[in-house]
Amino acid sequence: TGGHTTEILRLLSCLSESYSPIHYIFADSDKMSEAKIRSFEQKRAETFSNSKFTLDRIPRSREVRQSWTSSVVTTLYSILYSLPLTYKLKPDLILCNGPGTCVPVCISALLLGLLGIKRAIIVYVESICRVETLSLSGKILYYFSDYFIVQWPDLKEKYPKSVYLGRIV
Amino acid sequence: FRFKDSLAEDLRRADLVISHAGAGSCLETLEKGKPLVVVINEKLMDNHQLELAKQLHRDGHVLCCNCSTLVETLQSMDLSTLKPFPPGQPEKFALFLDKVVGFQ
Repeated sequence: TGGHTTEILRLLSCLSESYSPIHYIFADSDKMSEAKIRSFEQKRAETFSNSKFTLDRIPRSREVRQSWTSSVVTTLYSILYSLPLTYKLKPDLILCNGPGTCVPVCISALLLGLLGIKRAIIVYVESICRVETLSLSGKILYYFSDYFIVQWPDLKEKYPKSVYLGRIV
Repeated sequence: FRFKDSLAEDLRRADLVISHAGAGSCLETLEKGKPLVVVINEKLMDNHQLELAKQLHRDGHVLCCNCSTLVETLQSMDLSTLKPFPPGQPEKFALFLDKVVGFQ
């Protein structure tokens, strides 16, 4: 969604051609991200003529401020949906930055890893907006990601296992 | 106007921006190098949205006020005290990720 998409596209902006194909996964309720992604990929194709990408939508796991109990239900539903998708894509690397959408995908990837089907490296980058506290996705994925990147020093202190590279978006 | 697809053009022409503390608004403005006064309405905002505004203020990149002190702030502000906002460095992320994945 919105700010998350802008941030993730900035994160991708300096990646080499080797990161291909890129599979974008976003919420079905998201109207604007597809256009931003296509525009980004169009520019990317000018430098890397062989770059490939796909777009997939999954049900949104949680609305802002949705109650805890109903969030569990909607997230489970999103997991049911994202599990076959993740199985189909079998990513080597998952890069996510905090929208609720990323949690079911990461959980699916973890399950596939546990089942010995495919082990993905999960890299989580917390949003630049998070200076002192983590988002809910961040709090969950801090324990389940392989690399957890924060963009402000306060968070690095509070979450010592995180990686601090300064501002990267 | 209520909604525009992009404020880029308006930002380009502005000499001063007065905005709420939304992250997108703040960052977009600072990246264009425009002086920014952030108006904080604690009643409307999520606590977490304030985090970025407060940090930007602490780092000297923006002026802050609330609705009732806005006029006074505009009258007495010294924009030369604002520090430029350096851009983020996604190249550092790319270097890090290359190491993680094994591309060197």
